[in-house]
Amino acid sequence: MMEFLRMGGYAAYVWPAYGITFAIVILNIVRARRALAQAQKEARRRLAVDSRP
Amino acid sequence: MAFTWFHKLGSPPYAYALAARLTPWFGWTAALLIAAGLYGGLVLAPPDYQQREAFRIIYVHAPSAWMSLMIYSTLAISAAVGLIWRIKVCHAIAASCAPIGASFAVAALATGSLWGKPMWGTYWEWDPRLTSELILLFLYLGYMALRSAIDEVVRADRASAVLAIVGIVNVPIIHYSVEWWHSLHQTATVMKLAKPAMPPAMLIPLLMMLLGFTLMFFALLLVRLRAEILRRERSARWIREALPA
Repeated sequence: MMEFLRMGGYAAYVWPAYGITFAIVILNIVRARRALAQAQKEARRRLAVDSRP
Repeated sequence: MAFTWFHKLGSPPYAYALAARLTPWFGWTAALLIAAGLYGGLVLAPPDYQQREAFRIIYVHAPSAWMSLMIYSTLAISAAVGLIWRIKVCHAIAASCAPIGASFAVAALATGSLWGKPMWGTYWEWDPRLTSELILLFLYLGYMALRSAIDEVVRADRASAVLAIVGIVNVPIIHYSVEWWHSLHQTATVMKLAKPAMPPAMLIPLLMMLLGFTLMFFALLLVRLRAEILRRERSARWIREALPA
């Protein structure tokens, strides 16, 4: 296990590269979902305003 | 009559509903492929004879770089189709692509930098491949800045489409930069007509990562596209039916 984490002495380059990439992947998922939730909230609010007598 | 499916896709209510249905399929297939690709790339693939364990950065670097180029091409082509045939959904696709593509251009530059240090002895060099990829990031940022500077959606769509189309000249420059000029960067491993320069134990996880990231892009794009359609179609009646109360 330690051998795997050491990455033959390249741990300082390999793991940050994986960390940055997956941080960006997760950020993309969070931001896309947030954009949709925000747009749905906004659309609902407008519908509520439009349907007032 | 053969083009009715295309007209259907161009209709916002249909595109919205289809995007919602397809997202989980793309998302979960992507997750499985990426998980398998990671295991194959980090554990099963043998170390490279020259670069030893450092070569494993390829499994995040190549997919990120591929995403940055593929997403820019998708953006520019949809912007062009939107501009020529005035299809609103195409402009919405282009606008949704930009933040995703920009983030993967950052990932490609950052992981490349972390790979360059142990292999070339430097994090950065004004090398053709690196410089043209940096320009790609600036194109994404310029596209997004231009859109956000114009309040009226139709004008923002047209102006940003022109920028996107002009910018596509950079895509082949990035791809062929390693052949046209002397570059520190190694030449293509997978994207070439001859046999790939890797044994299957290294290549298969890489292909899984590339496919997994591509499918993840489709899932992200579909979620963002729905948000973009809702924002543009605020007063349309179909929204009432599409949104659960």
